[in-house]
Amino acid sequence: MKKILNIAAVTIFLLVTSATVHAQKGDVKFNLNYNYSMPMGNFKDNIISNSSPRGGTGEIIYNFSSKLAIGGAFGYQDYYQKYPRAVYKTGPNETTSAVLSNSIQTVPVMAKLTYSPAGNGGAVQPYLSGGAGAAFVDFKQYLGEFGSATNSVSFVAQAGAGVFIPFGKLSAAGLRLGADYNYVPYNKDGFGALNTLDVHAGVYFPIR
Amino acid sequence: MKSSALITVLLGVIVFVSSCSKQPLNNLTQDETRIYITDRDSSANFATYKTFSISDSVAVIHDQYANKALTASDSAYIAATTKYMQQRGYVLVSRSQNPDIGVDVSRVYSTTGVINYYDYSGYYGGYYDPYYWGYSDYGYYMPYAYDVYQITEGAMSVDMLDLKNASTNKKINFIWTGLIRGEGIFSADNADTQVKALFDQSTYIKANN
Repeated sequence: MKKILNIAAVTIFLLVTSATVHAQKGDVKFNLNYNYSMPMGNFKDNIISNSSPRGGTGEIIYNFSSKLAIGGAFGYQDYYQKYPRAVYKTGPNETTSAVLSNSIQTVPVMAKLTYSPAGNGGAVQPYLSGGAGAAFVDFKQYLGEFGSATNSVSFVAQAGAGVFIPFGKLSAAGLRLGADYNYVPYNKDGFGALNTLDVHAGVYFPIR
Repeated sequence: MKSSALITVLLGVIVFVSSCSKQPLNNLTQDETRIYITDRDSSANFATYKTFSISDSVAVIHDQYANKALTASDSAYIAATTKYMQQRGYVLVSRSQNPDIGVDVSRVYSTTGVINYYDYSGYYGGYYDPYYWGYSDYGYYMPYAYDVYQITEGAMSVDMLDLKNASTNKKINFIWTGLIRGEGIFSADNADTQVKALFDQSTYIKANN
């Protein structure tokens, strides 16, 4: 996990540095969001069905017109589930009775495009967004107290929608509410995709 | 906002959020830490065995050495194993009465790394010398291997040996092994439920009476 956090820190540094350069030309904002994530499909059915209230995202947006913005996004989410004791077949004739715990931490880092069809003039500004990048995945699985861990990087693609709600008519800061669908084709060690539906709420503010 | 200040804020947020992560090992009760592993010789027909004998003490295997012990916990494990063997229809006899199955109970510790059970008879200071079961000319043979049978700390094991066919096979085959790992396993209070768990997941252990 420390390795993932280090990579995330470097990525954030590059994003912020990049945004600072772009700020000479236009409007650069930063979003900071609380994120609630719901596993979907295989992730929900076979790995972790519990939703995760433990996550956050950040995003740096450069508005190069009133309707279009590009940016970089990162996040962190922690998923965990403990299953009641059950007997698992762990070899040709070997069985193991154990409480199974799955623990997954994801750190997505993405480039994003945001489209606000109504521009930036209203009290509520809807938007659509899309993004793609890499998700650093730390997957730990425990039988009782005995665990194994796999660190890997997976492609991630995201589609989302939401609203910006400025604090005032002329304010460059405000609230952001939205939802994203994340496609993460993990496919490691017999496990399939780690797709999620996320809802988030946060604030945005200019950084220049 | 200056970029350095923003980075500081963001790193603070990341550290805060990551500290909110659920730690799986902190969310387990003592019972939930335990795992019960069983493996068997798939060619063994447990219905063909009728009698068994169980070692009169427990082998304490510490790294590559062994000695005998009989603590309250050890006695509880021997009693529990005897109880569940009898519940499955096997008749307890003494070693001198040519039992079909020999049962060993062991406490296993390792401070140096992994114990490989293929070295069963070679490492453990003579306690598991086949002579104990009356077959001094034969060696042991384990026809199965555990995927997760690597002991790097404490474990409790129960092994069943095929004495009925030892002369025919010219070796003493393992036909079943149960392994218990986790917290609180060396407790007399937990012995019965833990041995029961091994037998519960091994329904094929049944005499044909």
